[in-house]
Amino acid sequence: MSESVGPLAGVRVVDLTDERAIYGAKLLADLGGDVVRVEPPGGDPLRERGPHTETAGPGASSLYYAFFASSRRSFQIDLQNKADLEQFWQLIDVADIVLYCRGRYGADKLDPKQLLAANENQVLIDCSSFGSGGAWQDYLAPDLIAGALAGQMATTGDVDTPPLKTFGELNFMISGAYVAIAALAGLYHGRESGEGQRVEVSVHECIASCIEQVFMFYWYSDTLMRPEGKVLARRGSTHWSDAFTVMNGEGGSIMITPTPDFDLQLAWLIEEDAQGDLLDPMYSEPENIRERIELTMQQLRAWVANKDVEALFFEAQSRHMPYGWVQPIERVGTNPQLQARDWFTEHSLGEFDIKSPGAPYRFSETPWQLKDHALAGADNEAILRDIGWGAGDE
Amino acid sequence: MSKRPLEGIKVLDFTHVVAGPFATRVLGDLGADVVKINSESRALTSNMPEHPFYIMWNRNKRALALDMANDEARGLCRTLAEQADVVIDNFSVGVLDRWGVGYADVTQSNPGVIYVQMSGMGDTGPWANFVTYAPTIHAISGLTSLTGVPGREDIGIGYSYNDHQAGLHGAVAVLAALESRRQSNKGQRIDISQFEIGVNFAGPSLLDLFANGVAAKACGNKLPYDNAAPHGVYRCAPAAVTTTADERWIAIACMTDAHWRALKEAMGYPDWAEAEVYDGTAGRVANSNEIDQHISAWTATQNDYDVMTMCQAAGVPAGVVQNGADLVERDPELRRTDFCHRIKDAHPVVGQTYADRLPIHFEQTPCDDYRRVRGLGEDNAAVLSDWLGISLEEVGELTDREVLK
Repeated sequence: MSESVGPLAGVRVVDLTDERAIYGAKLLADLGGDVVRVEPPGGDPLRERGPHTETAGPGASSLYYAFFASSRRSFQIDLQNKADLEQFWQLIDVADIVLYCRGRYGADKLDPKQLLAANENQVLIDCSSFGSGGAWQDYLAPDLIAGALAGQMATTGDVDTPPLKTFGELNFMISGAYVAIAALAGLYHGRESGEGQRVEVSVHECIASCIEQVFMFYWYSDTLMRPEGKVLARRGSTHWSDAFTVMNGEGGSIMITPTPDFDLQLAWLIEEDAQGDLLDPMYSEPENIRERIELTMQQLRAWVANKDVEALFFEAQSRHMPYGWVQPIERVGTNPQLQARDWFTEHSLGEFDIKSPGAPYRFSETPWQLKDHALAGADNEAILRDIGWGAGDE
Repeated sequence: MSKRPLEGIKVLDFTHVVAGPFATRVLGDLGADVVKINSESRALTSNMPEHPFYIMWNRNKRALALDMANDEARGLCRTLAEQADVVIDNFSVGVLDRWGVGYADVTQSNPGVIYVQMSGMGDTGPWANFVTYAPTIHAISGLTSLTGVPGREDIGIGYSYNDHQAGLHGAVAVLAALESRRQSNKGQRIDISQFEIGVNFAGPSLLDLFANGVAAKACGNKLPYDNAAPHGVYRCAPAAVTTTADERWIAIACMTDAHWRALKEAMGYPDWAEAEVYDGTAGRVANSNEIDQHISAWTATQNDYDVMTMCQAAGVPAGVVQNGADLVERDPELRRTDFCHRIKDAHPVVGQTYADRLPIHFEQTPCDDYRRVRGLGEDNAAVLSDWLGISLEEVGELTDREVLK
């Protein structure tokens, strides 16, 4: 593993996460933390998650794992074995941060009180689906269920589809991000005060905290004066404000919005004689804003239907209008903005290098860095050396 | 009991809409002193402190009004930036430079500053000046085309997922830079492209594209890469409703054969489910449409919460598709932690306001302090006194000269 230059260089993290928080461990690892992922003798079950590639060689086929377990060191041990268990404790002992998901291999060995008594600076991030002590604490909640219960699915989907989950595991990427925040805030406090602590993160609460309009509609329905009342039904791509929606044109789909400057959009429609009745003075009255939005979107839908969406996107952006051309993943892979910013990065996967997603942020002094992908147990020897295993016997 | 984790950290906040304010909301919840700059000229529509949308993202911040068209206000702003641990904005590239509080200006007098710019596309590249909101980012990053049903690319995510995530990543970046500053005594600039954050969420699919040439497509409620069946949502009673908001659905996810056996138990071992072909994942996946029809028939006449309780008791991952009213009124977990709660201090204009809690529970440094959204310039005197030692009298003079508006 190459030496870290990231902002978290020197921060030692033990990673006992599963799907619910592995993204948080990734964030810390790619930022330069020395993150050691503990694996059972049979290998981490997440190494079975797809998509796979056969070109990377044995043990390295999971592209899910390549992404989510990036920049990690792998420590494969048998916690039924006494010596391995001792190594595990020694590894935990030297960590600044321990991330764990309840039910995951190794997590059941942790006793937070004992750990904090032995190492009072340590930050223990205890991630679970619903927190402790509640009626649902033992409920099983993979991403689909987590999204259903936390309000994500009720917002997503169209009138003619069922409620939909977001693609892949986007719900767990929210809980993962919160886990990273919890860990780093706990670390900051520990550095300032010398006080470590256990921190609970509930996946359910994490997802519920990121559903934009849902609580706003419930709490402020009287102020918003919307006909829908407290609950806005799923309605495809149409934003809660009614002023953003995906429309179909020539050659694909495009997200259209007249915001933030309705007059700018109107001027463009007038240029093309597509304004309809929008020049009626009634639509200039502030109290008729909802009617103006409705008619504007109706005009836009008719106007967009015969437009080439690619040309429309670039024309809109040249006019500082935030349209968004709906891109399939293959176009994202060749996006000129990402290429110009050299965003994609090469990443070792088994015996091969693979083009990989790049950094979610750019630090001017301590750059983000994607480090090599570890095969199961590949780092055991180095980790044992680092934790001083066997040193007392010499 | 200790103070909140970030107490003592000063954040100068120029953010607006959701992504930036969500980042600083998290920092404020964690105890940082977040001073949000607003002005009469910018406090319009959803950027008005009384607007519900503004209220959602701006609790736990102090409000300073500065007329950035005024030279004296810009000078005051530069002095504030000298005191800040963090300066953060999500304007288009170049706005803060024009105000004299760009990174190059601030870092000269404040080399420890952590300066975060959360623009739509990043500060370089041919699309750097593109204007974006979350639905724009969803569209161009692939998130819209991937979230939907096969054959449609016009559904996407029903809320501003990427705005929230950009906010969370902004907070991660600030916290990581604080750790780095501890080692080096140096601050730094962080360039956040909300577009790059969005593309990052398609990580495994991009790897699949690059390694295998396979382009992911929307797949409804199925898993895109792994085999699991049944894995979907099923209508519950009542059958007749007025709008989709009144529909009731249950999500069920059999990730393993054990889950399937448990589901059979929960359903009372119906004859159809005993077909041998369903015993293994491959058989269930191959026949998932047929299985889904049977399960839908089973759930159609039942109460969604009853089905969930029954399934979970048997060991089947299942959950009601909860809407906002369910979350606030029925959800026992959110009620247990008082997740949705009333802010104690009444808002002078709006009256009662509400907040959802930071979903991080620190045992030693609990973040249970929720202060209401502040009105335009409501904390002018307190902020200028705390940060710059400016007296009340001087604040009065600045107000008279229309610097603080």
